[in-house]
This record gives sequence, structure tokens and C-alpha cells, in this order.
Amino acid sequence: MDTRNFTFMFYGFLAAWLILVVYVLSLVSRERKITEQLKGLKGMLDYKDHK
Amino acid sequence: MREKIIYGLGILAAVLLARNLYSIFMQLPDEASQGMIYRIIFFHVPAAITAMLCAAVAGIASVSFLVTKNFKYDAVAVAVTEVGLAFLAANLVTGSIWGRIIWGIWWTWDARLTSALVCWLLYAGYLMLRQAIEEPTARARIGAVFNIFAFTDVPIVFFSIKWWRTQHPQPVFWGGGSIDPAMYWTAALNLLALILLAVVLTLIRLRQEEVQREIDSLRRYAHAV
Amino acid sequence: MDFIRQVLVITRKDLRAELRTKEAINASLAFALVILVLFSFAFDPTADQTREMSGGLLWIVFAFAGTLVLNRSFARELPNDCLDALVAAPISGGALFLGKALANFVLVMAVELVSLPVFGIFYNVHWTSRFWSLLLVLALGTWGLTVIGTIFSALTVNIRLRELMAPLLVYPMLIPALMSAMQLSMDLIAGKPLGGENEIWLRLLVAFDVIFTALSLLLLETVLVG
Repeated sequence: MDTRNFTFMFYGFLAAWLILVVYVLSLVSRERKITEQLKGLKGMLDYKDHK
Repeated sequence: MREKIIYGLGILAAVLLARNLYSIFMQLPDEASQGMIYRIIFFHVPAAITAMLCAAVAGIASVSFLVTKNFKYDAVAVAVTEVGLAFLAANLVTGSIWGRIIWGIWWTWDARLTSALVCWLLYAGYLMLRQAIEEPTARARIGAVFNIFAFTDVPIVFFSIKWWRTQHPQPVFWGGGSIDPAMYWTAALNLLALILLAVVLTLIRLRQEEVQREIDSLRRYAHAV
Repeated sequence: MDFIRQVLVITRKDLRAELRTKEAINASLAFALVILVLFSFAFDPTADQTREMSGGLLWIVFAFAGTLVLNRSFARELPNDCLDALVAAPISGGALFLGKALANFVLVMAVELVSLPVFGIFYNVHWTSRFWSLLLVLALGTWGLTVIGTIFSALTVNIRLRELMAPLLVYPMLIPALMSAMQLSMDLIAGKPLGGENEIWLRLLVAFDVIFTALSLLLLETVLVG
């Protein structure tokens, strides 16, 4: 196989995947944040209900 | 049920991508003048098409919201715009790297690249606009109107290489170029894989948006009680 | 005919309000002249180079100075609940938009028509060779600038950080119109006629104006009221 420009092609694929991975990571962090908030709110409401 | 759909589509996308990567690197021959770098086309072009499909879905969702006032369309609009933005970024970056090798320049201000960059800026502006508005109804309404305005750039991006002489090459796959059928099918399959990936990411983001709305309503309830 | 009357009422109101205080138009004119002066320090171009960058420079000046006028368009209605009064008035959203857009168009054109001779003097550029074509391009480009500026002013009127968000959204949206106007102006100042190579830019500019005017007429009411 012709290996001209192999490094740059590697960078190209890496860049494309990196961008998508960064987006997926942002989704994961957002998920964690909102599940925490949801749990906190539900706990607060249960506490108020049981009072 | 929706969880299962997300997992199912995700696995299908992953399998397709793996198969395509194998095909791209192991089976296809080298291009005559470009060497190995041309293989980037199998992500560059499908990412562009996926991004434009996301923009179209966002535009339709925005119009639907303005017509029906149903907030689920607003959730779809923001989710699919975010995903489309990621794919468009991938498209711009892979194009830039490819251009550095083939043309010797990282960037040029021809019609295709400029309009694609403007498209990215507009949809990023859409997300920023949404963040600046706190009231959910106003946010959805203003966002929907801006999304419709932003969508007007997408046809310009698509037809720019037909209407102007551009540095960017003429269409290779769908538009009259001649191409080796093996390459054509690999590109088509990768397009399918990226579309599936976009659908999975949109569904995940959509679910997060619904949870966020639940949190907002619970918060209002908690403060009222 | 009712529609036209409504439009003219709004246009006259806005123009009267602006011309009495002259706040925005003075700021805009001063800004345009300052940019022209600063640019002439920044570069020391030859006559050929000046002609090449004339289109770009002119339209950057017009876009930045015009935004000063356009952003205020709906923002000036916020104090004393004037915006609510306009929304409650028995005029259609389209008439309100067109009235404000026309008033803005007059103001921005005034600034441009003053800046053009000043540009000619400072940069030693002979711009009158294709005067009427240049005026046409000026009018078309300014209308595009005005339409986008006016509708986005309405879009951002109730947002915090309005002064920051409105330009941030307006400039990318304007790029097709600005690019067309810049190319056409550069050619016209260099003495070339409209048509031939230029035609694609002219068509883009006209299409831009038509599409965004139609969209804005339809959507202004949605933006302000819902």
C-alpha cells in the first residue's frame, strides 16, 4: 500500500472521531448533572410530603 | 422500550462502522494521485450529508413547533441541531486537513468553505441564543424563528459548487462524477452508519431534554409547595 | 391600501423620533468616519490595491455603522411599554416590520451616502464611473442589511446581553449579502459593468433580499407575540 501522507490521514480520522467523542462526553456529563438534580429534587419533595 | 431502540441502533451503527473501517483500509485500492489521504472522503462527505439532514430535521421541527406549539418539537430541534453541529465540525476539520495535503492550504475563502463555516456559526449562534433566554416558551419561539433563518444557508452550502467556481472539487459520488463502485458502496454504507449514529445521539439528547423539563417543572412545584 | 398607510405611519413615527434626537444617526456617522480614518492608517495601499479592497472596506464600514442604527430599532420601544403598545395596535406584524425596516433603510442609506464621498476623498478613489449601478447595489445591499438587522433586533429585544447577542447573530447571517455587495462594489468602482461574471452575485443579492423580506414579514408577529 502506498504510504504517502499516512500521518496526515491518521490525524484526519483522529480529528473526526475526537470531535464526536468530545460531543458524546458532553452528553455524558450533562446526563450525570441532570440525574443528580432530579434525585435531589425528588428527595426534597419526598421529605416535604412525609413531614 | 426507547432504551432498547437506542441500544439496538447503537450496536448496528458500531458494527457498520467497524465493517466500513475494515473495508476502507484493507480492501480498497489507493487513489491514483492522492495516495492514502483520499480515504478521508469516506467520513468527510457522509458527515456533511448527515449534518445537512440534521439541519433539515431541525428546520422542520422548528416550523412544526411554531404551528402546533407542542414543546416536543422544540426539544427535537435543539437535540438535532447539537448533533448536526458536531458532524459539521467534523466535516470542516477533516476537509481542512485533507486540503492541507492536497492543495497545500489549511483554508480558503471559496463559496463552499465560507458558506459551510457560516452554517456552523449560525447554528452555534442558535444554541447561544437559546442559552440567553430563560423563559421556556419565549426560548422555544425565538429559537424556532432563528432556526428557520439559519436554515436558509444550507441550500447555499449545498449548491455552492454548482453556482460558483470553487477551490472545493465538484461532486464525486452523487452528482455526475464517475467512481469505482466499491468506493461508492463504502461511502454509502458509511453514510448509513453516520446517520444511525446521529439518530442514536439525538435520541439520547432528546431524552436528556425531557428530563430537564421534568426537573424544571418539579422545581417550580417544589417552590410552590 | 390600508396596509401601505399603516406602514407609512410606522415609518414616519420612527423617522420623526430619530431625526428629533439624532442620537443613532450621529453615532453611526461618526463611527463610519472613524473606521474609514483608522483603516487609512492601518494600510498604505497603492492605487490598484485600494481599488481592490474598496468593496470590502466600504461594506465593512456600512455593516458596522448600520448595526448601530438597526439594533436600536426595537430596543428603543422598550421604555414606557411602547413595545406593548405597538403589539396591541391594530396593525399587522408585516406592516410593523415593513414600517420599521423602511425607516431604518432611510437612515442607513443616509449614513452611506455621506460616507461614500468621504471614502473617495480619503483614499483617492474615483467611484463615480458607474454611479447608478453603484447606487443600485448600495440600495440592494442596504435593504438586505436592514431586513436582517430589523428582524434580529425584534428577536433579541427581550434578551439579556442584547447588545452582544444581536451583532453576533446578524453578521454571520449577513455574509451572503455582504459578500455579494462587496464583489459588486469592487467591480463597479473599478469601472466594470454589471452582468457577465458579476451576475451570480447580483442574483444572490436579489434572492437574499426577496427571501428574507418574505420570511421577516411572515414571522415578525410570531417573534413579538407568539
